[in-house]
Amino acid sequence: MALGLVKEVAEAARAPRFLYLHWPFGHALGEPGHVAQQRTVLHDMLTMATRAPRPGLVVELPYRWRRHAYTAVRDWKSPSPAVSAALSSFTGHGVTEEAQRKSA
Amino acid sequence: MRIKEMKAGGSAVLFGVIPVGTAFGHWVSKLIALPQLRRLATGEIPWTPLRRPLAQSTVALVSSGGVHLRSDRPFNLNGDPTFRIIPKGAQQADLAISHQAYDKTDALRDINLVFPIERLRELEAERVIGRLSDVHYGFGLMGSAKRLMPAIKEVARRIKESGVDLVLLVPA
Repeated sequence: MALGLVKEVAEAARAPRFLYLHWPFGHALGEPGHVAQQRTVLHDMLTMATRAPRPGLVVELPYRWRRHAYTAVRDWKSPSPAVSAALSSFTGHGVTEEAQRKSA
Repeated sequence: MRIKEMKAGGSAVLFGVIPVGTAFGHWVSKLIALPQLRRLATGEIPWTPLRRPLAQSTVALVSSGGVHLRSDRPFNLNGDPTFRIIPKGAQQADLAISHQAYDKTDALRDINLVFPIERLRELEAERVIGRLSDVHYGFGLMGSAKRLMPAIKEVARRIKESGVDLVLLVPA
């Protein structure tokens, strides 16, 4: 389960599971001391790890750097909202994986 | 602006000279990575569905942010083809970062930003994950995938043999 900060690299890597964040280098899990933010990203990673339906998907997380308000993860057994929403858009009906990744 | 001043300001410098702002850092990152990925990331994408529920799974971290035990040999800042082992109980004070292609100021205050070991210890205690691997792995800056490959293969071998179910890869 890979986390990445450069979108083109995430797509070119063709890894089994990839999450992409538009955040600065050195801050893959967020801001120092911001536990709720860090746990949110981990929840996204663990959701992707357990729920990605097939290899090669790159999910872009929607959190704007220093602009997003994070709530505490309530239920770790439930899928994270961000990854859940992204995976549901990968319908796989007559759409190639490549096209889905480009539109994600 | 002298190099010393740039470093003191907490900014990252590539090869000790070039200041790495976001746009430039992204550009260099792509320049170095994309041609190699196009050559290497071909064929079928490997796929191993998680065989156990997460609450029974063993999780390991692999970092490419230059994280290592303070007592261990630092990474070569100009490029290092080796890996370091980090035990699951490592505290912030036990860890160092040897990497200069990103601004590590915040990571030095909170290592979880590039190596979320404390967060994962919490998740183990909360039984969200079954077990945190006894051993985790750190890499430094290495532009050449070819030179890095032996270390990658060795880490993959150790991870597989230690019964890890899930690896989380965290970038610099």
